[in-house]
Amino acid sequence: VPEQKRDSRFRLSEEQKQNRWIPAFAGMATMMLFSTAWADSGIGVDTWRGNKLDPTAGQASEACDARGTTWLAPLQRRSPTGNLYDCPNEAPLAHEIGEWLYYGVLQVGYIGTGDQGVAAWNRYADWRSDKAILSLLDAHFERPSDGSYVDVRASRISDEDQYYQAVFGKAGAYKVQAFVRDMPNILSTDARSIWNGVGTNNLTLPSSLTPGGSTPAQVAAASAAAPTMTLGVKRSKQGLSASTYLTPEWTAYVNLSDEQRKGTRPYGGPFFFAFAFEGPPFNLNDGGVNETIKPINDSTININGGLRYAGPEWRFDFSYTGSFYRDKYTSYNYQSPFKLTALPVIPGAIAAPLYQGQMSTEPDNNYHNFQATATRKIPWNGEISISASGGRMSQDDALIAPINCQGVFGIGLGNLQLGPQNPMLYDCNKWNTTDALSRKTADMRIDTSMFDARIVLQPTPQWTLRGDVKYDRQDYRNIYLAYNPLTGQYGYPSENGTQGSIVPGESGIWDPRTDPSALTRVRSLPLDIQTIDANFGADWKFSDKNTLSATLDYNRYEPSNRERSQIDASSVKLTWVNRSLDWLTLRVNYTYLKQTGNTYNFDPYEFTWSSSMPGYVPPATGTPAHTVDAMRKYDMSSRDENKIDVMATVMPRDDMTVSASVRGDWNSYDARIGRQAYDTVGATVQWEWQFATRSSISAYAAWDRSRLGLSNVQDQANGTGADPTLGGSNYALNGQWWATDAQRDWYGGFTLNHDIGRVRLDVNWNYLYSRGLTDYTYAGPTALAHLVGNEGPGPGGGAFPNMIYRVNSITIGATVPFSERVSLRLFDYYERGRINDWHYLGFDQGLVVGNRVYTDAGPQSYKQNLIGLLVNMKL
Amino acid sequence: TGLAQQRRSEIAQSLPSTNLSSEKQIDPSLPAPAPGFARARVADNPQAPEAKPVGEKTCVACHQLEADHFTHTLHALGLHVANRSDPSIPVCETCHGAGSAHAQNPQGKGLIIAYTKNGGTPIDVQTKTCLTCHAGGPRDHWSGSVHQRNGLSCSDCHNPMAKFSVEGSMAKQSINDTCAQCHKDIRLQFNRRSHMPLPEGQMSCDDCHNPHGSLSNGSSLTSFPLAKTNTVNETCYQCHAEKRGPFLFEHAPVRESCLNCHSPHGSNQNTLLVAPIPFLCQQCHTQQRHPNDLHTPNSLMTGKNPDERIMGRGCLTCHANIHGSNAPAGSKFHE
Repeated sequence: VPEQKRDSRFRLSEEQKQNRWIPAFAGMATMMLFSTAWADSGIGVDTWRGNKLDPTAGQASEACDARGTTWLAPLQRRSPTGNLYDCPNEAPLAHEIGEWLYYGVLQVGYIGTGDQGVAAWNRYADWRSDKAILSLLDAHFERPSDGSYVDVRASRISDEDQYYQAVFGKAGAYKVQAFVRDMPNILSTDARSIWNGVGTNNLTLPSSLTPGGSTPAQVAAASAAAPTMTLGVKRSKQGLSASTYLTPEWTAYVNLSDEQRKGTRPYGGPFFFAFAFEGPPFNLNDGGVNETIKPINDSTININGGLRYAGPEWRFDFSYTGSFYRDKYTSYNYQSPFKLTALPVIPGAIAAPLYQGQMSTEPDNNYHNFQATATRKIPWNGEISISASGGRMSQDDALIAPINCQGVFGIGLGNLQLGPQNPMLYDCNKWNTTDALSRKTADMRIDTSMFDARIVLQPTPQWTLRGDVKYDRQDYRNIYLAYNPLTGQYGYPSENGTQGSIVPGESGIWDPRTDPSALTRVRSLPLDIQTIDANFGADWKFSDKNTLSATLDYNRYEPSNRERSQIDASSVKLTWVNRSLDWLTLRVNYTYLKQTGNTYNFDPYEFTWSSSMPGYVPPATGTPAHTVDAMRKYDMSSRDENKIDVMATVMPRDDMTVSASVRGDWNSYDARIGRQAYDTVGATVQWEWQFATRSSISAYAAWDRSRLGLSNVQDQANGTGADPTLGGSNYALNGQWWATDAQRDWYGGFTLNHDIGRVRLDVNWNYLYSRGLTDYTYAGPTALAHLVGNEGPGPGGGAFPNMIYRVNSITIGATVPFSERVSLRLFDYYERGRINDWHYLGFDQGLVVGNRVYTDAGPQSYKQNLIGLLVNMKL
Repeated sequence: TGLAQQRRSEIAQSLPSTNLSSEKQIDPSLPAPAPGFARARVADNPQAPEAKPVGEKTCVACHQLEADHFTHTLHALGLHVANRSDPSIPVCETCHGAGSAHAQNPQGKGLIIAYTKNGGTPIDVQTKTCLTCHAGGPRDHWSGSVHQRNGLSCSDCHNPMAKFSVEGSMAKQSINDTCAQCHKDIRLQFNRRSHMPLPEGQMSCDDCHNPHGSLSNGSSLTSFPLAKTNTVNETCYQCHAEKRGPFLFEHAPVRESCLNCHSPHGSNQNTLLVAPIPFLCQQCHTQQRHPNDLHTPNSLMTGKNPDERIMGRGCLTCHANIHGSNAPAGSKFHE
C-alpha cells in the first residue's frame, strides 16, 4: 500500500470540504424562517469542545485570583453537598472599543513528541509529530448597554484535531452558535494490508497473489512485505444552533449539525472456516478467514428544534428530532487469496474456484421523532406532567445481490459443468443479480411511540409523593423473505458461496424440489418491543438534616419473537440522605430487583428457518436442534439484583474535603447455560486540600472488580443432533463448561497547583492498572474446541494469560509570567502504556496462519514523551 | 482572617442605609428588559419574610470582591441591563432574596438565600429560586429525579458567581470535572483501554445524560438513568447513526440495547465490550457445531491449534456485521 495511503484516510475531498458549509448556510436559512427565532439548546450532543491537550477548553490555564472569592472569609466556601468551590479566575483585563468591552487570551506554541506511531497514545488526539499549535484562542466581546456579546474560541493541534466556535447573542434574548470540529480516532498503527485499494470499496490482491489460488506461505510473504499502515476514522463535524425568547414565557430553538466520517477500520471477510479442516481427518488448509479493511465514508445530518413555554401554572415543550444518515458505499468487495478444496467425503468432489467476497455497509437511514410535554402545577405544591412522542426510523436502501461471483459456486462431481449431474453446483448468474431477490430495496421501518404521565405532590414540607407511568413501544414493520424468483429457491449462498463449495449439501439454499431437507434462514427477524413501567415513591424528610426515600417500580417488557414474550421486573429502591453532622454529607442508595417472566421458549426463531416452510422434509436423523433447551439469554433470564451505592463527602477541615464512595452490584441469573452471575464492586476515595488561595493538592485512589460467570455446552453430534435437552444425547453433560472473566482495576492520581515565587507549578499524575483474568473449567474433554493430547478423561480447567492494561502518565508544568499580559508555560507530559491482549498473542511474528490473514497486529505498548512550550497572551 | 474581619467592619460602618432601585423611575428612553430577565424579581426567602430589598450597591459595599468576579458572567450582563431599564428588577436579590435582614445581621444563617453548605438556606429553597427563571426545558423533570431525591442543589454543580468553566456556569472547570465530584468512579472508567473520548475533552457526560432529570429512570432493559432520550439506543444513535438501521437482518440484543454488549463508560476489552470475545458471544450462543466450543490458550496463534474463533477479532472476523446486516446473504452477519 503506497505511503500516501496512510494519511489519505483522513483527507476530506474537495466536495466534502465544500459540504462542510452547506449545513451552516442551511441552518442560517432555517433560523431566518424563525426570524424572531426562539431557540434552546437543551437536547442533543455537542455540549463540549476541547482536546486532549486541554480538556477544559482553556479554563485550566486561567490563573486563580490571589484575592480569593470574598473579603469576608479567608477560605473558599463549600457547595451544599460540601465540596469546596474553586478559586475564581483573575478578573480579565478588559479594553473598550466604543460601547464594547473585550478581553481574551491567545495561547500559541510548539509541541515536540518522539512519536512511535502508537494508536493508544494518539487515541482521539493527533500527537503524531512535532508541530506548532494554536493551543487556545478565546476572545469575549460584550456591550453592557444592551447585553450583547460575542465569544470566539478555537484550538488547532492539526488538521485532524481542531475546533473553532463562535457565539453571539444578547443576554436573556437570543443566542446563535456555530462550530467546526475535527476529531481523529486512530484504531491501529501496526496494520499490514495484502490488498490494494485500501479506503475504497474494492480491495484487490497484488500481482504476487492469485485470487482463490494462493498458498498460506505466499499470503504470509505478501503480508510481511506490506508496509505498516494506520487505520482510523476522522470525524469532521460542523454545527449551527440558535435559541431565543419569544416572550418571557415562550422560547424556541433549533440545532443543526452535519458530520462526515472518513477513514478505514479492520473488518471481517469470511470464506468459511479454516480451523475445522486443519487437523485429522482432513489435514487441509481450507476455507478462508480474511480480516479486510472497511472503507468509512459517510455523513449524518442531525436536526432538532422546538418550542417551549414556562409560565406560572403551565409548562409546555414541543420538540422535533431528525437524523439523516448517508453512506457513500452500499457495500465493498474484496478478493480472498486462499484456495478452496471440497471435502473428500464424496468421490470426485471439486470446489468451485471462488475468490470474490462482498460486505454490505450500513444502509442510509432516516429518523423523525416528535415529542410534546405538558406540565401543570396542582394543589399540594405538586406538578402533573404528561409527555407523548411518536417517531419513525426507516431505510429503503438498494439491496446488493446475494453473491458477486462469476461462473459457478458449490461442488461439482468430477467437473464444474452445470446440469442435473451436478445437483450441488449453482450458476452464479442466477444469484449475482438483484433479479435474484424477492425485492430490490430493503423497505424496513420501525415506528416508535411513547406516553408518560407523572405526578409529584408535596402535601407537607416533610413529605413528597411521586408517581409515574410510562408506555413505550417499537413497532417493527415489514419482513424480508429470502426467495430467488429466478430459481424458485429459498435461502442464500452462505459465506460468499464458499460453505457449499467446501461442504457438500451446505450451500445455504433450500429447494423444496431438489433439497427439501436443507436447513437455512429464509426470513428476517422483526423485533417489536413494548414496555410498560410504573413506579410510586415517597420522600420523608423526618428532620431538617435527614431524608428517607422509597420507590417501588414495576416494569413489564414485552418483546416479539424472543425467548420470552413477557418479562416482569419489580424493584424497591431505598435512599437515605443525611446532613446531620456539619462535617459530613452522606447518601446511601439500595436497590433490590427481581426479574421473572412467562415461559421461556429456548427456540423462538423457528419461523425464520426453512424448517418452517411447507415442503420442508426433516432429515432421517430429525431436524437438528438450533440450541440447547437450558440456555437462558441474560437479557431474557430471570434475575435477582442487589445494588448498593454509598457516597460520603467529609469535611475534616475548613480547607479540606475527602470524598468516598462504595458501590456494589450483584446479579444472580437463573441459568444452567448462559450468564450465571455478573457482580461489580468498587471503592473510591479522593482528597482535596486548598492550603492557600492559589494552591491546592488533590489525590485519589480507587479500586474496582467485576466478575462475570457463564456456562455453555459442546454438542456431540456435529450439528446433526435433534435432541435439544441438556444432558441428552446431543448436549451431554460431559460437554458442559464454565468460564469466569474477572476484571480488576487499580487507580491512583495526584494533582498539585502551587506558586513558587512568580512561577506557577502544576503537577498531575495518573495511574491505572487493569488486569483481566479469564479462566475456565469443563466437565469433560469433549467440551474443548481442540484436544492437545494431554487431557485426562474427566474434568479439567485452566486460564488465559492475564489481560493487562497499565498506563502511567505524569505532567509537570511551570508557568512564568513576564508581564501582566504575557506568560510562558513549559510542560512535559510523559506516558507509559503497557497492553497485553491474548487475542493478539503471537501476531508480532506474522499475520498469516493457515488460511487466515489478519490486518491489525493488535494493540501496542508504548513510552511517549511530549514537551510543550506555550506563550500565553491576554488580549 | 484579621484583615478580612477588619475590612468587613470598616465597610459595614460605611454601609449605605438603602439603595432601593425600585425607588427609581423607569427610563422610557432605555430599551425594554430582555425577555429572559423581564420577570426577574426579588427572590422569596421564607426564612426572612420581613426583609426588604436593599439594592446591589448596598450588597457590593461588603461584597465588592464577589461583584468583581460576578460582573464577568452572563447573569450579571443581563441583570444589569434589565435593572437599568426597569429598576424594579434587582441584581443580587434576584437570586439571594431581600437583603435588609442579612445586612442588619450578616452572621444570621438563612437571612439571605445562600447557596453554600453552611449558609442556612434549605436545598429546596435554593432549587426553587433557580427554577423561578430556569423552569422547564431540560429541567422539566427535575422534581422527582434521582438528583433531586438525593438532595442535590443546583449549586452543587453550577456556580454563576464567576466564570469557572467555559460552558454551562459549572462549579468546576468542566462538565466532566463537575460530575466527577460525586461520580469519580465513573470518571475513572473512562481511563480504561477503550472509552468514549471524554478524557480527551471531545464530549461530556451531558451528551448522554440529562442530570436535571428525564423520562428515563433506567428500570427497563431499553433505558438507563437520566437518559437524554427515550431509549439507550436512541442515545447511542446520536453519534452512531449508522447503527440505527433498521437492518434487513437484525441481531436481537443489538436492537434491544447497545448495553447488552457494550460498557458505555469504558472497558479493558476492545471496543467497550463487556467481556472478551468469544465468551461475550457464548453467553447466548450454544448453537450446534462451532459456537459452543470451549476455547483455551491452545486456540491462540501461539497454541497448537490456532483458531479464528478467538484470535484477533474472534467471532467478528466472520460475523463482521454483528450490529445488523443489509445483505440478502447476511442473515448470520457474514456479509
